[in-house]
Amino acid sequence: MQLTRTNHTLRRVLGLAAAVATSTFGGLAAAQVAEVDVRDTIFYEPSKTSKLFVMTPAATLGVQPVEWLDVHIGYEADIVTGATEPIKSGPLADVVTAATNFSDTRHQFRGGVGIIRRDAHLTVDYSYGTESDYRSQGLTVTAGSDFFQKNTQIELQYARGFDKVCTTNYQPATAPSGRTRLDSSDRCFTEALDRASRSVDLDTFQVAWTQAWTPVFATQMVLTGALQHGFLNNPYRSVVIAPAGQDALENHPENRARGALSLRGKYFIKPIMAAASAGMRFYRDTWDILGETAELEFEKYLTQSIRILARGRYYHQTEALFWSDDYTGGEPVSGPRGQYWSGDRELSPLSSWMLGGRALFALQGTPGARVLGFMLRFQGTAGFDLLKTNLQNFTWSGNPVDDTTAMILSLGIRAEF
Amino acid sequence: MLKILGFLLVFVVAFGSAACATVRPEQRAVLADPTMRFEGEPGEKAATEHVLENRESSFGGGSVRGGGCGCN
Repeated sequence: MQLTRTNHTLRRVLGLAAAVATSTFGGLAAAQVAEVDVRDTIFYEPSKTSKLFVMTPAATLGVQPVEWLDVHIGYEADIVTGATEPIKSGPLADVVTAATNFSDTRHQFRGGVGIIRRDAHLTVDYSYGTESDYRSQGLTVTAGSDFFQKNTQIELQYARGFDKVCTTNYQPATAPSGRTRLDSSDRCFTEALDRASRSVDLDTFQVAWTQAWTPVFATQMVLTGALQHGFLNNPYRSVVIAPAGQDALENHPENRARGALSLRGKYFIKPIMAAASAGMRFYRDTWDILGETAELEFEKYLTQSIRILARGRYYHQTEALFWSDDYTGGEPVSGPRGQYWSGDRELSPLSSWMLGGRALFALQGTPGARVLGFMLRFQGTAGFDLLKTNLQNFTWSGNPVDDTTAMILSLGIRAEF
Repeated sequence: MLKILGFLLVFVVAFGSAACATVRPEQRAVLADPTMRFEGEPGEKAATEHVLENRESSFGGGSVRGGGCGCN
């Protein structure tokens, strides 16, 4: 009896929701489309020390009020908890530090407008991000066009970031070895005398060329160049630079130019209704880091509504010119390791494997026969990836780190009206 | 300099040969399939890139986005 009453109530609620959605989005149906994308990504490192946990919920709403105009807004958060060692030392220094707990939340809001005219499109996006110790603003302009009967697509993109990072209030004249790290984000972005705000300027240029060669084979080449200028260190991290244990705020160069070239190919295997793709990326920057990435993907239709994807990725990089696991060796002050010091494991030589997959369920409707009575399309996805990193030359006081295995779980829902 | 000239030559030849590709509009059904999109599922791709950018030094070759700290 109770169950029947509950079913009646559920039907009424669903019916009411369908009626509201139909009346709300029904006006858009003729030539207009609204799209909602909601997803959550969870990153977890199940180690004894860091236990890093990051939850990233995100939502995007896009509307095409007329055929040639696209307006979209979005929100994303990074909710981070974990533990980290604030002072990096190598095997030679007699320093042992304990991991300290931290938590922070980054909010990012974005919005943009796109114009589509025949074979060309132009999009302008703006984003604003804020967290207790970092603020970012970004402007991205993208322009693209189709050529040769739409078999060739060229897209150009420029992004400019205007970021601010909170640090201790050391003066420019203070020697790098006398600068201290931030102990907390308290009083950041206030008038407090012991805090300062420093700029990070980011310029990114990208050109992408996508080419259809046959009815089942296409390739893509992407060339990216980026310039970074400003405070490029971690404000919380200091590095032991003397055998007696003296430490100083991490000191990276203020400029970094980065370049990447990626090549990908996709081939559709009709007899088994599956797409196979392979890609390579080559990276180099002025900190002398060379990186290579190889990627493989295989996505297959199980039914018309269900697809599964399996993916694998291998990555390798060399170390930055000034990287060392131990800076207590009395390096010459004019040399790269004497002038700069880092505790950032991303600048150490490493390789990583990522294996995973994703399942996707989609229902396609038509304006006359909508999914659940109000959606043109509904899609749900669930993905899982395992990331294993091999740090070749990074230790905490000579001890290997244990936070080198990570799991990434993602869930998403998308609906078109 | 020779490397750059060589790269430009390969690019020009490859781009020029693209004009000879003859995939007619009625043959594009498979190319328009979601499994053939290089960007994959955009939200998912962006989230994975965000994780990897905070775990390694390489950057670019995918989508371009604004800055973020990733200090921790």
